[in-house]
Amino acid sequence: MKTASALSVTLHVAVLAWAMISFNGKAFDVPPVEAMPVDMIPVEDFTELTKGAKDAPKKEEPKPLVEKKQEEVKKPEETKPKVTEKKEVAAAKEEAPPPPQETKPDPIAEKIEKQEPPKPQQQAAKPPERLPPKRPPVPKQPKFDADKIAALLDKREAQRNAATGADLNSAPSLGASQGNAKRLSASELEALRARLMALWNPPVGIQNPEQFIIRVRMQLKPDGRLAGPPQVLSSGHGQLFDSARDSAIRAVFRAQPFDMLRKETYDTWKDIEVTFDPRDMFRG
Amino acid sequence: MTDVMSRLSRLTVLPSRRDLLAGAAAGSLLALTPRTASAVLRLDITQGNIQPMPIALPDFVAGAPQDAELARNITGVISANLQRSGLFAPINPQAFIEKVINTDVVPRFPDWRAINAQALVTGRITRQGDGRLKAEFRLWDVFAGQQLDGKQYFTTPENWRRIAHIISDAVYERLTGERGYFDTRIVFVDETGPKDRRVKRLALMDQDGANVRYLTRGDELVLTPRFNPSTQEVTYMSYGQGDPKVFLLNIETGQREIVGNFPGMTFAPRFSPDGQRVVMSLQQGNNSNLFVMDLRSKQTTRLTDTPAIDTSPSYAPDGSRICFESDRGGSQQIYVMPAAGGPAQRISFGEGHYSTPVWSPRGDYIAYTRQARGQFAIGVMKPDGSGERVLTEGFHNEGPTWAPNGRVIMFFRDNGGGPYLFTIDITGRNDLKVPTPSFASDPAWSPLLS
Repeated sequence: MKTASALSVTLHVAVLAWAMISFNGKAFDVPPVEAMPVDMIPVEDFTELTKGAKDAPKKEEPKPLVEKKQEEVKKPEETKPKVTEKKEVAAAKEEAPPPPQETKPDPIAEKIEKQEPPKPQQQAAKPPERLPPKRPPVPKQPKFDADKIAALLDKREAQRNAATGADLNSAPSLGASQGNAKRLSASELEALRARLMALWNPPVGIQNPEQFIIRVRMQLKPDGRLAGPPQVLSSGHGQLFDSARDSAIRAVFRAQPFDMLRKETYDTWKDIEVTFDPRDMFRG
Repeated sequence: MTDVMSRLSRLTVLPSRRDLLAGAAAGSLLALTPRTASAVLRLDITQGNIQPMPIALPDFVAGAPQDAELARNITGVISANLQRSGLFAPINPQAFIEKVINTDVVPRFPDWRAINAQALVTGRITRQGDGRLKAEFRLWDVFAGQQLDGKQYFTTPENWRRIAHIISDAVYERLTGERGYFDTRIVFVDETGPKDRRVKRLALMDQDGANVRYLTRGDELVLTPRFNPSTQEVTYMSYGQGDPKVFLLNIETGQREIVGNFPGMTFAPRFSPDGQRVVMSLQQGNNSNLFVMDLRSKQTTRLTDTPAIDTSPSYAPDGSRICFESDRGGSQQIYVMPAAGGPAQRISFGEGHYSTPVWSPRGDYIAYTRQARGQFAIGVMKPDGSGERVLTEGFHNEGPTWAPNGRVIMFFRDNGGGPYLFTIDITGRNDLKVPTPSFASDPAWSPLLS
């Protein structure tokens, strides 16, 4: 028992000592990694499509590059279904002769019944040769047109070009129906802000500026003018508040027309809420 | 299985029927509220552009041809007042498109927008049957296209300047949100004669320099006049034969009385905000200490007791504290203490000597005179000593006094020839000379008359 425990202790100590030596406190070295230059590009540049308008003029920029290939693409698409039909037709050709032979009895029998009972047997042998060509050819003949055969030949060449042609032409000039790229650009927003800042003349007597933060909501018309009088959303009382409110309203009125905003982005700026916050101006 | 279910329902907080109903109600309410908010473009404007507001003041319409000049004069006084404030830029009348204004008709706002007028004041002067003047005015917001204010006043014809000042105040107050200061007067020391035999008389005038009136004859030396903040009463220091004494003078009646019966010199008096007490310095040997006297009971109270020169006391507008200058620390500095006396705290720590502290009627600043590097400066600092700002500095600037709205400071400046009165905005802008008949010093601004 003693030896066992002694052995256990010594072994444990040995393992511990080994662990302490081998797993020393050396920190993990992270080899310096060369900084990788990264360009920050807004996702919108790639993902957003412009909203389509039916009467938008087509942009013809991409055309010259793909023009020749596009023409070729159109043809193969039309001929595709025809190709498969042709294969069926080929099968029908072989089978065609036998069915007429099988179906022969029925028309003959009808005719026999209508005309005379004794004759059918003699005529039966003759009409089968004449009748079959009349019926089957009607549906099958169009598939054998010479034009379609020419299309078949064209198709093979066109298919090779189609892959590249379709990819290159992926940007439609009329846009997607749910596009949302019509946002105010930062410079438009800044121009709007700069105009309001230049025209906002807050009352100089403001002492507790946090009481005179004026929120103004305004609806604009596409021509950049106010659709109606701006609404004041903040409330307060006293002469100073009235003056602060009037100064904000006056700034909005004087800023008309908001010609720095593009008509294309009208949806984003038809309804604007401006907060006139004098805290930074009257601190201390 | 049922056991498990019942345990589950005990463990999890299942909403009761009432909760569900409340939730449904809240949900339907949410659904009812307009959801257009998400489409609103939000914009924060944190900086404005403080500049004089262009204002159009076409001549007031006269009810009778003989009053045309009076109407024009009233308009001129209002225009000058607003211009001097530095917050308005009256537009040259020659630019007006709409010339004659009927005060009862809404002006043609596009005409006024075209000349970039932001506010428009129209008015009419008519004479009543009893000879009094009736003055009406309307203040219009040109861009919003609405009337902001409209009042009428009656007065005697010789009081036309006051009417003009009162209308100026109404316009100023409506557009700036601050109390006006045009319907006020200035008491000052008028100085005439050669430098070695200067005659100093106490004089009174409108804040724009008009209607100068002399209150003393000039046979005594007068200094440091101060207006009572609540009545048209003045206290000042005067000395003829004996010790300099503090006097009280009623402007309207000319009645004069001495304040306190102290042995020795009393000086630097100033009223308390309620006008019921006068605080001043009393010289005792080489020291001077602050005393306050109740004007009704004539009871005096000592506020400081130091072996130093404590002087130029001034009350905070709420009457709770007093700022004063003292050399107890070695040089003249500004201290603040409770109005009843007690421990004083030094608030000025800049370069040079600080003197003549005056608490703003608005309470936010203390104006002072600072002497450093051979230059005299007028400045302001907050009552805790922070935010110190020098407004003007030069050969000699001294004796600041506040307009009743706490926005403008008047002081006297001597560039070598003699002293004149000047005003300056607390922003340090709009440094203007006040017209006076001759040299002038020690101005004191009255409270609003109306």
